[in-house]
Amino acid sequence: MNRIIQTTRDDYLIAGFAALAITIHIAESALPSPLPGIKPGLANVVTLVVLCRYGWQMAAWVSLLRVLVGSILLGTFLSPTFFLSAAGALASVAVLGLLFALSRALPGWAVGPMGYGVAAALAHMSGQFWVAYAVFVPHSGLLTLYPLLMTLAAVLGIVSGLLTRAILARLNSPPPGGNPV
Amino acid sequence: MNWVKFSRGDAVVWLLAATLLVSVYTMFWQADGHGAEAVVLVNGKRWARLDLFQNQDLKVPGPLGHSHIQVRDGQVRFMSSPCPNKLCVHTGWLSQGGEVAICLPNKVSLQILGSDPRFDAINF
Repeated sequence: MNRIIQTTRDDYLIAGFAALAITIHIAESALPSPLPGIKPGLANVVTLVVLCRYGWQMAAWVSLLRVLVGSILLGTFLSPTFFLSAAGALASVAVLGLLFALSRALPGWAVGPMGYGVAAALAHMSGQFWVAYAVFVPHSGLLTLYPLLMTLAAVLGIVSGLLTRAILARLNSPPPGGNPV
Repeated sequence: MNWVKFSRGDAVVWLLAATLLVSVYTMFWQADGHGAEAVVLVNGKRWARLDLFQNQDLKVPGPLGHSHIQVRDGQVRFMSSPCPNKLCVHTGWLSQGGEVAICLPNKVSLQILGSDPRFDAINF
């Protein structure tokens, strides 16, 4: 049996952007971190750029592929790190999807990279935190950290929003197929 | 859409994020382990329940005589007790949920009630 899978232009774009995100993800994992769970989230900038240029569906693919492939390459697949990372990515993809849908429904109130960046970072941190609390460390002392972690996430979200904005400004040619928003 | 502009939608998202942060701080940082009530046990039975923010002095009768308990501004202590070594008095002021002071000879004990006790267990 010989079946040929039809690949589309979007498939290549997803693969390319996911590869870029995975590269950043792995480079970032080599950086020392003062606290577990705190990362600059530079790989998320790729997700945000894809979201703004190509829409939510492609951004979701890129984000989830990054977590999956990144964990396989780093050797953390199915380890606690992977589940935390996956929970964060799922939460942020869900929140981005909500904001993206709202932006389409109410174009006057469309969210831009600055809003997406902060929302994604907070959602990522929350998803990660609550899975950590529910599954790995169900100790009430952990809750004291939550406000601090969320503050850090908000700051890092602003940074990733700024980066996304700068990248989008450089990529000022409209994407083939038109702008989704 | 102009991506460089900080849009109205961004402002809404930031406002919601700020609200979330404030509520998260008030939710998780407001409640410290500070207890508001204490119980006094005599011979293992509850003798009184004290509001720690109502200053008062109590005389608690035990087998050896009266233990004096003092409540001041959210703290409580044994001020004096007719026991030989005064361990209960030397325990000093209690304010955190779960903290205890015990006068074994006079069979009087004092414990702060708290939903989030600071200690799981204490041994001497």
